[in-house]
Amino acid sequence: MPALLLEIGFEDLPAEEAESVAQAFREAFARELQAARVPHGPIRLFWTLRRVALLVEGIGERQEDLVEEVRGPAAAVGLDAQGNLTPAGLGFLRRYGAAPADLVRKRLGDKEYLFLRVRRPGAPVAELLEGIVARALAAVPCSKFMRWEGPTAFLRPIRWVVALRDGEVVPLRLAGVEAGRLSQGHRFFGGPVALRHAADYAEALRAAKVLADPEERARLLRAAIAAVEQEHGAKAALSPELWTMLLGQTEWPRPVVGRIPAEFLELPEPVVVAALREEGKFVPFTRGGRIAEVFLGFAEGEGDPEVIRRGYERVVGIRLRDARAFFEEDRRRPLSARVPELQGVVYEARLGTLWDRVERIRRIARRLAAELELPADLLDRAALLCKADLLTVMVREFPELEGVMGGIYAGLDGERPEVARAIAEHVRPRTREDPLPESPLGVALSLADKLDGVIGPIRVGEIPTGSRDPYAVRRRGSAAVRLILEKGLRLDLFALVEDVADLYPGTEPAARVKAFLWDRLRSALEERAIPYDVADAVMAQESGDFLGVWERAQALAAWAGKPELSALALAFSRVRNITKGQEAQGFRPELFSEDAERDLWRAYQEVGPRVDAALAQHRYAEALEALLRLKAPIDRYFDEVLVMCEDGQVRANRLGFLRELSQLFLRVADLSRLVVPG
Amino acid sequence: MNTFQDLVLALHRFWRAQGCALMEPYDLEKGAGTFNPATFFGVLGPRPWRVAYVEPSRRPADGRYGENPIRFGLHHQYQVILKPPPPDIQDLYLRSLEAVGLDLKEHDVKFSHDDWESPTLGAWGVGWQVWLDGMEITQFTYFQQMGGVDLDPVSVELTYGLERIALFLQGQESAFDLKWAEWLTYGELFRERERQFSVYHFARANVERARQMFDFHEAEAKECLSLGLVYPAYDHTLRCSHLFNTLDARGALATAERETYIARVRALARACAETYLAEVVGARASPRDRV
Repeated sequence: MPALLLEIGFEDLPAEEAESVAQAFREAFARELQAARVPHGPIRLFWTLRRVALLVEGIGERQEDLVEEVRGPAAAVGLDAQGNLTPAGLGFLRRYGAAPADLVRKRLGDKEYLFLRVRRPGAPVAELLEGIVARALAAVPCSKFMRWEGPTAFLRPIRWVVALRDGEVVPLRLAGVEAGRLSQGHRFFGGPVALRHAADYAEALRAAKVLADPEERARLLRAAIAAVEQEHGAKAALSPELWTMLLGQTEWPRPVVGRIPAEFLELPEPVVVAALREEGKFVPFTRGGRIAEVFLGFAEGEGDPEVIRRGYERVVGIRLRDARAFFEEDRRRPLSARVPELQGVVYEARLGTLWDRVERIRRIARRLAAELELPADLLDRAALLCKADLLTVMVREFPELEGVMGGIYAGLDGERPEVARAIAEHVRPRTREDPLPESPLGVALSLADKLDGVIGPIRVGEIPTGSRDPYAVRRRGSAAVRLILEKGLRLDLFALVEDVADLYPGTEPAARVKAFLWDRLRSALEERAIPYDVADAVMAQESGDFLGVWERAQALAAWAGKPELSALALAFSRVRNITKGQEAQGFRPELFSEDAERDLWRAYQEVGPRVDAALAQHRYAEALEALLRLKAPIDRYFDEVLVMCEDGQVRANRLGFLRELSQLFLRVADLSRLVVPG
Repeated sequence: MNTFQDLVLALHRFWRAQGCALMEPYDLEKGAGTFNPATFFGVLGPRPWRVAYVEPSRRPADGRYGENPIRFGLHHQYQVILKPPPPDIQDLYLRSLEAVGLDLKEHDVKFSHDDWESPTLGAWGVGWQVWLDGMEITQFTYFQQMGGVDLDPVSVELTYGLERIALFLQGQESAFDLKWAEWLTYGELFRERERQFSVYHFARANVERARQMFDFHEAEAKECLSLGLVYPAYDHTLRCSHLFNTLDARGALATAERETYIARVRALARACAETYLAEVVGARASPRDRV
């Protein structure tokens, strides 16, 4: 089977977006092939910032035939009374070149119709490709669309297209560009490349100084970084963003190592790291928590390494000189002097200024200090100062230093170390992978910050829908849940939300906030591999103690699938079903008449206090184990006792007891929600 | 010959050969060559347009008292507008660098994603910063909108940072050591001016009078617009823009107020663009122009 090569050449795509565009294009292309019934083998993806190429193995000659039924005239019209074809029926046959034997009669609604099974032969793939490529490209999401000429809009202009089926050009046009066999090698060191065969692609481009295979580039980058680490005994300060940029920036990367002028090594390490990493330019290195004197850049192509190194060092020197000037400028006033100016900065039109935000964070932090037994004065100081660095020149120039810079300046101002640290940590986690704050005050301040970032937008109606979440409410909600679960924070989140409700404008009720957070908790359980039925069971009753829900989920998940638990779940389901909808009502044990009834009552009296004691100490596994002892008495009870008996008083008494028993279970989990095998 | 003026001449020769009309700098303060009417009005409407010119560009907040080797309150841009953009525009641009004497095979050249936006002009585009060995030497933009108006056809704007390119050509570390002419350095010409304007913009500019001047020019621009006098209106818009930059550098604007000033300038720029399209382009649209 032949191979198909499709390459689209662009003016330089944004380095940070090239990979996602390439992958989206491959997926869309595969979808279109399938929709068009084109048989094909594996699709290999190549990309650089100037091209996206697909090598489709085993591409079919023609699309697969389609067999479908077409509806003709109603039977009463197509056939006469004797069952012979009328002119209308004959016309239908003729249109599809079919014989009378191919006809089928089928009822549709209350009428019978003539049908034909028609085989539509597949078109040659070469004729379909133009449409497939155009539709696939149109399905690629871009951060921004531009127009250059004609109606097509994409991330950057399309400048060449290669379409080869083995050695043959497949004629097609894309965005006004005629496909051919001419690709482009490296801008300065390659030149045009006439491809002879689809399968030659990667090799032909390598000869023209383009590493089209991203894996190959990644290996080269990693090796160069490791070499510097080894030679200088230092560790690369990479970030996911920097890595994406490096991988996307060059077609033929060449490592160039430069040195940072000694005068700048005294600057705070995060500042130098941010200045070097800015715009994905250079890889900084650290050694023992301090910035190392070397940095690494990747030049595009095979320029003169000495010339390039001098250029890199000059740029680094200029930027670090800027950074030092920002640092000195910022240090002319203490961080605390900037706090009043937060009143002049709008955070969000409805949610007021940054000062309003700080005031709300302080209120939440005060609650947290009480609940988590933290030093309230220190936490309040950190909360007061935590947004002031947004007004520094350094953070304006290097937004990624938000928080970090506040911590550094606060420390230099002589604020308490715990305060400085809390300020530095409160912006974490910025992403799902980002580590959480480590200090207790940092954890609390981060939680206060995240909660304000959830409650505020939701109260004014900015509830995330689908992919629309301009205030990153979901990310902040998930971060808040992560802090509670991973840092083991015992607090009633719902009570807190109610308590601070009066701080917020907007008309959405606090219940919306609670429901949103509850939903984030459900996602968190899912991400932590809690089976959905276990999550359902522990979340059957709302609770502001998220940590407790998580612990109950873990305890239950540890037992999930075991026969003991399944048996208990079945037993409880009987209790739950019969008491559903029953009002709480008293009962009198002395009215119990049957052995099984008294037996269950005794077991309940023994188990109940143990469950409650375990719950009080958050020992949920123990609570669950205690409940397991109720399984046999419950089973016996339902075998021997007729709850819904004739005597209304006895019936009510029994239901009253079962309801109380049910409540005991529900304090741990609604086991009736568990999926029981069999 | 490798002086600053030689660089300008080489670019002039190159772009003249590409059919550009060589324009002169516009005689009002402005933050970038984009504000020159040859760009602002030139990119509007359907008429093909190719111009190139030097534009001394004032950015008060970028002043560094003449002490930073490549940051200035006034720098020199070389501005090229190509409407519609030719399909080989990237190559053409790179050839222009070679034409001024850069051997690109010695260097690391990258087109680094950088979308451009001018909130005061109501303009945006997508494109790149061009990096030479990591230093930004050109802003390369496909304009999509100007004065709030969607452009059709779009234009490419090339903005060369002349001082930075000259550093490479003359092998200098500081722009103040560049030769403007054989007998005259950039430092002799501009260092003292940089110092004085930094003092003025950061510490001395009279905030109250600057606000008043802004108000005057805004009122004048509006009045001109009401009379259909779009070019005078645009001049006053430029003055507003520069006064805003002055107030901003002076640290006189709180964030919210800053937004308000930007919105006021943008409203004028929009009105200029719309008036120009309606009165000037509309009136000009003879069959010959509608090719």
